[in-house]
Amino acid sequence: MEVRRITRPTRWREWVTGWAFVFPAVALFALMGVYTIGSGLALSFASWNGFTPEWIWVGLENYADLLWADPSLAPGVRRAAWNTLQVCLAVPLLTVLISLPLAVMLNSVRRLRGLLRSVYFLPYVTTGIATYYAWRYLLEPEGSINLMLRSVGLGSLAQPQGWLANPSTALWTLILILVWSSVPTATLLYLTGLQAIDPSMVEAARIDGAAPRQVLRRIIVPLLTPMTAGIVLLGVRDSLHGFQIFLIMTNGGPGGHTNVLALETYELAFFKGLAPTLGLSSALGWLLFVAAVLLTLANARLLRRVR
Amino acid sequence: MTAARIAKTAAYAALIGYAALSLYPFLWMVSGAFKTREEILDGGHLIPREPTFDTLVTTWNQLAFVDYFRNSLIVTGLTVLGVLVVYSLASYAFAVLRFPGAKTLYWLFVALLFVPGITVLLPVVILENRLGLLGTHMGLVLPFVNGTAPLTVLLLTAAYRSVPKELREAARADGAGEARIYLRVYLPLTRPAHITIAVLTAVPTWNEYVLSRVSLNDKSLYTLPLGLESLISGTVVRYNEVLAASLIMVLPVIALFAFLQRYFVNGLVGAVKG
Repeated sequence: MEVRRITRPTRWREWVTGWAFVFPAVALFALMGVYTIGSGLALSFASWNGFTPEWIWVGLENYADLLWADPSLAPGVRRAAWNTLQVCLAVPLLTVLISLPLAVMLNSVRRLRGLLRSVYFLPYVTTGIATYYAWRYLLEPEGSINLMLRSVGLGSLAQPQGWLANPSTALWTLILILVWSSVPTATLLYLTGLQAIDPSMVEAARIDGAAPRQVLRRIIVPLLTPMTAGIVLLGVRDSLHGFQIFLIMTNGGPGGHTNVLALETYELAFFKGLAPTLGLSSALGWLLFVAAVLLTLANARLLRRVR
Repeated sequence: MTAARIAKTAAYAALIGYAALSLYPFLWMVSGAFKTREEILDGGHLIPREPTFDTLVTTWNQLAFVDYFRNSLIVTGLTVLGVLVVYSLASYAFAVLRFPGAKTLYWLFVALLFVPGITVLLPVVILENRLGLLGTHMGLVLPFVNGTAPLTVLLLTAAYRSVPKELREAARADGAGEARIYLRVYLPLTRPAHITIAVLTAVPTWNEYVLSRVSLNDKSLYTLPLGLESLISGTVVRYNEVLAASLIMVLPVIALFAFLQRYFVNGLVGAVKG
């Protein structure tokens, strides 16, 4: 009888297989990623309007202009930075404050759970230009939000010029809509986290006489910390990177009150005609990248200390 | 009533209240889509007095929505397909195969998570202009696929790692090659993760506005978001038509999600545990 020998592929064969499997991803990255990142970074040290054949090298001037040197740019950038910071802090925080209790409550009830979970997910599925237009309609001077406030006797809170046209309400209205569209994923993630908690642990605490509120504070919330870290991290990143809602709902207005850094980057790249602002746009984009990295590191440290 | 009962009632009240808030703009979208031009103007009521299909029909016809719809399907379909093929293969290699550079490449893809889309938007447009891709559907699909790399690689690699190594050894002992192991063992076992990725890619691609706006010039290539925008950029905004168009745009995504929901949730659970 012949023993069937298991042939071990040589190491080299596994190498080639591995490279073959990653090849499409690497090729696409080489085409769309390497060049764009490289040339974008280079452009941030140059002055160019997109039409002249030559870039003019300016060193770090673009960065200096954006941050302090150019009086026609820096104040606007600083204000956009302040708006961005508010969005970056408020959106993840409010998302956690809403979705954590929502998930805990949803996990504690039996009836309607499946249906509610689907309904909660709707804002994620539909978010984007279609829903932003629907919100715009609802936030108009004669829109449903104002009419509702008036009909329940809270007419003093209604915004006669519309929620998006009033400089003091516009940014926070957008923040709340961003929270509204990021609660679905956060709730779903918390729900999975809750289902992974060992029920005997909660039971044991209860037998030891812990009140439900204590169980929540001492056991459930700490066990969900990794989930919270993930949600906050992605939330900060999305708030820093995303600007579709600002572009579509207010385009930065009224009077720059809802301008954010990503939107400013976009304006500098595509809407300045023949002015040489492309280098400035690239520089601002890379400042955003640095901010994303710094905020992530700060977050990771903060959460580690909490834990 | 006992304290527990009160707590339960309060919980239900809060849960249903938030459900109403989740549905809110969507309900008005449906309502507006069935209102006439006159009725939308004296707006405070949700239920249309004389519901009409005319608004949906006019909106669909006058704006060549068939074309926009088809274009959106093409772009979203190709993007999802591209993502599933390209990163499914790569993630399999990162999770299972050993080869020089695997770790470096994996971390490179994950690190791209920090590069904002807006930072590379301008270089992408410049590059595509040089390659003659600007303004074509392929010119949208390629950067969309590339843009999903970090999250997709992260989730799929985790999913592949959760498959027991013994299965691979067993398949190998039976003489199966790498391609066969991937197709017959790993792919079926990670289906929920792949469906999750498909949904996470399809939803933002369907709604993408920024790159489409700056690259598409030819109206016959417009996707739904651009078609929708053309309704609102005029001087007179007819909100019943805007809402009808919005409804047309969101319904397919809702249908897709309803259809895939079970797998989607399972895939997300798997990914989080992995």
